[in-house]
Amino acid sequence: MLKVNDVTLRFGGLTAVNHVSLELKEGTINGLIGPNGAGKTTFFNLISGVYTPNEGEVIFNGIKLNGKKCYEINRIGMSRTYQIINLFKKMSVVENVMVGLHPKLKSGFFSAIARTGSQKKEEEAAREKAYEWLDFVGLRSKALDPAGSLSYGEQRLLEIVRGLASNPKLILLDEPAAGMNSKEKEELDVILRKIQKLGVTILMIEHDMKLMMGITDYIFVLNYGKKLAEGTPVEIQNNPDVIAAYLGED
Amino acid sequence: MLIQVLISGLVIGCVYGLIALGYSLIYKASGLMSFAQGDMLTLGAFLGYMFYGQLKLPFVVSLVCVMLCMFGLGQLLERGIIRVLLKNNVLPVYIVLATIAISYIIQNAAMMIWGTQTLTFPPIFGSSLVELFGVKVQPEAIFCIIMSVICMLFLHVFMKYTRFGTAMRAAAMDPTAARACGINTSFSTGVTWGLSAGVAALGGMLLGPIYGVFTMLGAIIGRKGFSSAVIGGFGNMYGAMLGGILLGLIETGTSAYVSSAYKDMISYSILLIFLFVKPTGIFNEQAITE
Repeated sequence: MLKVNDVTLRFGGLTAVNHVSLELKEGTINGLIGPNGAGKTTFFNLISGVYTPNEGEVIFNGIKLNGKKCYEINRIGMSRTYQIINLFKKMSVVENVMVGLHPKLKSGFFSAIARTGSQKKEEEAAREKAYEWLDFVGLRSKALDPAGSLSYGEQRLLEIVRGLASNPKLILLDEPAAGMNSKEKEELDVILRKIQKLGVTILMIEHDMKLMMGITDYIFVLNYGKKLAEGTPVEIQNNPDVIAAYLGED
Repeated sequence: MLIQVLISGLVIGCVYGLIALGYSLIYKASGLMSFAQGDMLTLGAFLGYMFYGQLKLPFVVSLVCVMLCMFGLGQLLERGIIRVLLKNNVLPVYIVLATIAISYIIQNAAMMIWGTQTLTFPPIFGSSLVELFGVKVQPEAIFCIIMSVICMLFLHVFMKYTRFGTAMRAAAMDPTAARACGINTSFSTGVTWGLSAGVAALGGMLLGPIYGVFTMLGAIIGRKGFSSAVIGGFGNMYGAMLGGILLGLIETGTSAYVSSAYKDMISYSILLIFLFVKPTGIFNEQAITE
């Protein structure tokens, strides 16, 4: 479903992503790991349209993404979350999800101005749908609180569900467990499996190896912008290159 | 006397509020200030004079035409000038300066087209006065207050309860996250500038019949509208309207009970006091500090 063909991204003299190729299978949970500064987040930015690769191409469901803008890529069916939580903090929790629903709605600017009947109906349906998504992560009881007042872990979940609201085929999660306590991590584990059941493919960056090894079908390892290894969690755990890269870092 | 002061204070205050609304919307969406807001009001008044006074179109039709024209012009300004400057990495201060340049260009162009005299905007409701709480007032004054309040409520509903308004707020709050949610942020920024111009033009249409139409109509109102936005809490829609009404009342009250010679001195002193004591404005808007 997602095919990255030999992409390279340079910032001036620095090569942040160096000839990386990977392919995701539909409906799988995939991990992207690597020591700090390996280029993982940059790689996410490359796929999601923040950067355009200097070389190579990114193909998503048969559509070439090079040069497409972030919002266009979202509309094709790819959502993402951020390492640093990127919620609309002053909006309510349910409003955040409604923003996520945005690309699914049809009525435009002038029907919003005129408040046409169909537009109102659509608005109602969107709110209903947003509440359903909140149920998905257990945040319905906090629907009207400002997003900024949620705990760190809850904010992570809200960001994930905001990404899911646009019914993506692929969601990129950048350190979803960061800042979560162990109970929240267990909940996250359950939610990630529920997302997979919806048929959404996941690609996630995560430093919590226990979570990562337990849940992923396949793992890619980046180091210094290059792909170091790929394989099942067991293969990765026993890969001498990967062990060396992690030990060498410390 | 009190009623009369209240009404004329509300009239000008509501118009300050409409201008302030535009400042706040633009600031939220682009992080910039457009000092052409006042001139959008002037243009709105002139276009209104043209559609309603000269072409003799019904008032409502003229109003819609004017607001659509100005909506387009506002978007054009953003797309044609502001966005290009931003893309070229011009410093924000210079972009603000560019809006001042645009302001003078509009004033001069208006002078070339419509001349220097004050034009009489034909009355909307005939020439008779209506009686309200025992005082005779121009019906246009009441109309101005009502329309401004409606406009405010309308914007409130639009921003808060429609998916488009929600998207616009999202784009203003956090453009990166908004783009990741599938929102075309540059489109919504354009719409914001258009809305601001449209709202200012409405102010011009409402004020025209009361003050007459002339090229400098919006120049002072623009500055006062900016002050109102700051007093209310810069970037806050509700603060903008409240700040405008407050400033209008203070100003009119000073003219009536003290002396009109002091009116600007007192209203700008109040602005200064706000800057010292409560720079986040009545609505405690944190946009400035963030």
